[in-house]
Order: sequence, then C-alpha cells, then structure tokens
Amino acid sequence: MLRAKSLLILMLTLILSSGVLILSCRSGEGPITAEVVIIHSTNLPLDPNDPIWNAAPKHLAKLIPQDLVEPRLMKASTSEVQIKAVSNGTNVAFRLEWLDDVKNDLPGPAKFIDGCAVQVPSKIAANVPDPQMGQAGQSVEITFWRADWQAIMNGRKDSIKELYPNAAIDHYPFEAKPLEKDPVAQSEMQKRYAPARALGNNREGPRDSAVEELIAEGPGSLSPAPNPTGAKGKGLYNGKGWSVVILRSLPKDLSPNTRSQIAFAVWEGGHKEVGARKMRSGWVPLLMKAEGELSKNAY
Amino acid sequence: MARVYNWQIGREMSYWYPESRPEKQFAAVFDINKCIACQTCTLACKTTWTSGRGQEYMLWNNVETKPYGSYPLAWDLNLLDSLQGQEWQGNVYQGQTVFEAAPEGERVLGWRPDEHDYSYPNVGEDDCAGQIEKGASLDLPHMMWFYYLARICNHCTYPACLAACPRGSIYKRPEDGIVLVDQDRCRGYQECVRGCPYKKVFFNPMTGTSEKCIACFPKIEQGIQPQCFVNCIGKIRLAGWLSKPEEAKPENPLDYLVHVRKIALPLFPQFGLEPNIYYIPPVHVPTHFLRQMFGPGVDEAVKQYRNIAQDPDLAGLLALFGSTEFIVPRWKRQGDLVIGMSEKGTELIKVPMREPIHIRGAYDPKYNIARVNCP
Repeated sequence: MLRAKSLLILMLTLILSSGVLILSCRSGEGPITAEVVIIHSTNLPLDPNDPIWNAAPKHLAKLIPQDLVEPRLMKASTSEVQIKAVSNGTNVAFRLEWLDDVKNDLPGPAKFIDGCAVQVPSKIAANVPDPQMGQAGQSVEITFWRADWQAIMNGRKDSIKELYPNAAIDHYPFEAKPLEKDPVAQSEMQKRYAPARALGNNREGPRDSAVEELIAEGPGSLSPAPNPTGAKGKGLYNGKGWSVVILRSLPKDLSPNTRSQIAFAVWEGGHKEVGARKMRSGWVPLLMKAEGELSKNAY
Repeated sequence: MARVYNWQIGREMSYWYPESRPEKQFAAVFDINKCIACQTCTLACKTTWTSGRGQEYMLWNNVETKPYGSYPLAWDLNLLDSLQGQEWQGNVYQGQTVFEAAPEGERVLGWRPDEHDYSYPNVGEDDCAGQIEKGASLDLPHMMWFYYLARICNHCTYPACLAACPRGSIYKRPEDGIVLVDQDRCRGYQECVRGCPYKKVFFNPMTGTSEKCIACFPKIEQGIQPQCFVNCIGKIRLAGWLSKPEEAKPENPLDYLVHVRKIALPLFPQFGLEPNIYYIPPVHVPTHFLRQMFGPGVDEAVKQYRNIAQDPDLAGLLALFGSTEFIVPRWKRQGDLVIGMSEKGTELIKVPMREPIHIRGAYDPKYNIARVNCP
C-alpha cells in the first residue's frame, strides 16, 4: 500500500516537473504552454492566418474582470485568450484569439468597440510592476488594438454615413462654396469643429496603424508612448471570434532565454466594455527562444 | 470618497474629490416664465460650436417642454427612477445623492442613453400635462399646464462627469468654475456621459471623444455672456458670478436672485452636484411638480414672483436680463432706472423699469383716416 502510494507521488512529481511547459496537446493544434513562448522566425507575420503561426506554441491566458479600480467590470465576459508569439530578433508579433459572438466596430453613443491589448514591463527587473497597468515609477508598455481602427485601416471612409448610412446632413460649414477650391482653408475650418483631431488626439478618423503605443504608471495614467516604434496590428473576425496580430518592437532587454512578463486584456464591445471595464490577465511568464531552438522541441 | 459641503442640500455629502471651489464660479439665472421655446438659443449654440461631423445630434443647449419633453429621452425620469423617492426635511436633503447611491464598482449612480434616445429632441413639445376639460379657466396655478425648460451644462460645483472619468480628463477651471473635457486627454470611454445626470456630455463618434458645453469661455474671458444668452429673444437669461451663500453680496445680480431673495433655484438639487444654472420656477404650474425639480424653495420663489408688481428691486433686476451682452457683476436701482455696472462700478447699461408707452389712436387726424391693425 505504502509502495503504491510512493509510486503515485513519484509519478505525479515527474509529471509536474517535466511539465513546466507542456500542459497538454490538442490533436493537430500544437502544444499548449504554461508561459508565453516567443519562437524565432525571420519573417514576422502580420496576417493572423499566416502559416508561420502553425509552428508556434500557444498559451491560454485566463482573463478575469478588472475589479480593482472604479469603474469596475462587474460581470465576466471573455474568459480566455489564446496567445502565440513570434520574433525575428528585432520585433515581436503576438497573435491573440478569443471568442466573440458579435463584431462591434462602430463607434457611437453607448456603443463600444471590440479590442485587445498586450502589456509588458518597460524594463526587465526582479521587482515586477503591478500587473494592473503598472505603478508609479515602474511603467508598463501597452500596445492596444481596436476593431474600429482596423475597419478604418480596411478602408472605412471618414464620413458619418459610414456609421449612420441614412444620415441626412444639411450642411457642414467647412463644405461652404467659398472654401471648395482651398483644401487648406477647408481643413483648418474642419478642425475648428473637431478639437480632438486638431490636438492630434487620434481616437477616430484617418490613421496609419490599427494599434496605438502607450505607456502607463498605474490605472488612469495611460499616455501615448513618448517614443513610438511603429507598432502595427491586423485583426480578422471570422464570425465566431477575433484573431488579432499585434506587432511591436521586442521589449527592451528581452533576448533568447531571458524571462520577462506579459499581460493581456480584451474588451468586448457588445458587453459595453471600455477603458477600465475590461477582462484582463495577471502577469504571464514570457520566454524568448533562440533561433533554431524550436526544432529541439524546447517547449 | 471625500466629505464636501453642498449648500443646496444643506449638508455635507460624499464626493470623489475634496472640496475645491474656483476663485469665481460661472453661474446663470433662467427665468422660465419668459421662455417661449423659440429655440434661438439652441440654434445660436448649434451654429457656433456643434456644426462638425459627429456633432449632428448634439444639442449643448436645448429647450424641452415639461412635463413630457426630454432630450435625451427621459434623461430625468430614468435617474429619478433609479434614485427612488427621497426625502427633504426642511432645506436639508435626507436622501442619497448620485455619489452616495453609486452601486458597487461605480463612481456615480448613472445610466447610458442609447443612440435612439437622442432621436427625439422635440418629444412632448407643447404637450399639456393633461386633457383640458370644458369650463377650464386660467386661475393660478393652471389646472392643466406645461412649461419650457431651457438647459445647458450646469458647470456644477461637484460635477458627476468629472467624478466619473477614470482618467481625470475633465477639469473645472479654477479661474471661473467652467467644466471642460480635455480633448487631448479624453479617450472616449463615455463614463462622463453615463455619469452626468443632466446628460449634457455627448460622445462624438467622428473624433472618438466626449464633448460638452464650454460656457463660451472665449467670450466669458472677455467679459461677454455666452451665445445662448445674448441671442435669447425672450431675454430670459442672465450670466454672471455666484458667491458662496455666506459671502453673498446683494449688489451682485446672481447673489441677489439666488442667495438673498432665493427666487432662482437649482435643477434637481437632490442629485448632489450643486449645479450652477438657476431657474425662476414657472408660476402657473402646481408646486408639487416643481418641488421635485427645483427643491423645497419652490413655494416661496413662486410667491415672490407673483408679487413682483409690488417688488421694484426684483422687477428692476429682471429688467436687466438680456439688456446687454456684457456680464454685469454689479447692479443698483435708482427710482425707475436699473443700472448694470462693472466690478469697478463703471456703468455698463442703464435700463428703464418700464418702457415709455405711446398710444396710437384709432383715428389719424393728419390724414383724416382711420388706422387699421391689418398689415
């Protein structure tokens, strides 16, 4: 009896110790890892359907409602986001996939937008910042993708008719006859009725990326990144959920076999999730593999 | 939550930030009895500030008919419904404000208007409170009634929009108390839209930020009243500066109407925001309806207004409304003349309490013809 018990304990220990990374393996889907493992690839895929993603292991990040600061999310929605990561040594691409019954990419009063974000500490240190958007003196970098920005990148025009096809507009002052031949004057006049755009606060309207680079030192402190690195993103909706690639520069000091942390957030527009009302993960260990390590089945 | 004093409800209350009153507080008095709902104020604002893309549905200033009108739809009823019936004891509010009644996880008790709620700005227009039966008479209060409620942002002392914003993107200017959305910092979460009980913050889907009445601050900074004031046909509005009750100066027109005579009352003081647009309540409406909207001071305010013919100071000050585009920080009455002055006492405007009357006879002896009133 005692021997059987010891054998059982030994077997469990072996499974747990050898399974730091290997948790399970669904047939045909590749392994699931307990940490986010960045594999090497010379070509970085921006397309969520790129075959390169097939080689990457996936991490299933559990999400919990943001319930630490008001306004809180009181009802959980997206419970899990599937993560894959690929790097070429300079940049890194993360693919986030989650289930969402309804695509929400139209802004409007009481309408909210599907989105997701990737967060990493600004520097690798033993003392990790608070996973909830960092803390004073310990900033985090956030790359934020939104479905309406994706729609704009996909060609949605900068017109109210795109949001409300039946809208009837009598007249905009900047479309007055005398301004028709002067696009500069017209643009200046238009800015007067769009102060956020005039200030460069690019929440809506023409843009060159579906993502936004941000930094934060705690809830409520989110600001544009002082030195944006040209992050990109691409999201596809397949009728059941989103598949989004966020491509950014490799986090500072992250190199093969160094460990860092990463966190994720998902907003489901249909659940009126916006800003602090979101599903978020805690810190997830982040491991970068060296070129060629994938073939060694290192994960 | 900090503890702050709200004189409109006669007690301390909880607020998200500590009490921090501005050096001067922009405030205004609207005389509801004079409003004819011509919407000139609405258009003056619309053409000045909200003619851009994404602002099509916005009315920073609107005029709605009470009891049935509302923009956005049921802005008042929705909140009153969730706040439930609450009690006043004299001038002290015993119930909960929107800050004190905030549910778990929220900063403010609020609600979000759906986009369709903005689709009926004229709902209830000129609708009477009930059917007028045969034999109706015009006693006071009227047996059936309606009145016009002109509304702008209240530039509250304790703004719920400001409290609701998790990013601190809304601020109250220390120099004049005007509440603004920082268009550079706003990320369009719409928490302010949800939090403002008066629903005077609007989300702009084309800029992705929330926008609101700015009290025409570029004009205020030059000592000039906002667009919706100077364009008011009925001369129902007077903008100025309001002191704290204990520092009220009778020579300040707003202090006189709000603090000294207490004839101008805040809109839904029980919400707890200490709003700074004050209303002289309509004298023809049963006061039980008005008490809910303007608080316990309604009966006394209505009584004073009905007695205005025997009240030259009050009648005189009301003659200053709409008489000048300048902000009038001081006033005095000299016989039948009312004089509006600058802070230093310089005369800005002189208004007779009664315009001279000339009676044009029905017969014109010069041309030997009878005059007719037809055009």
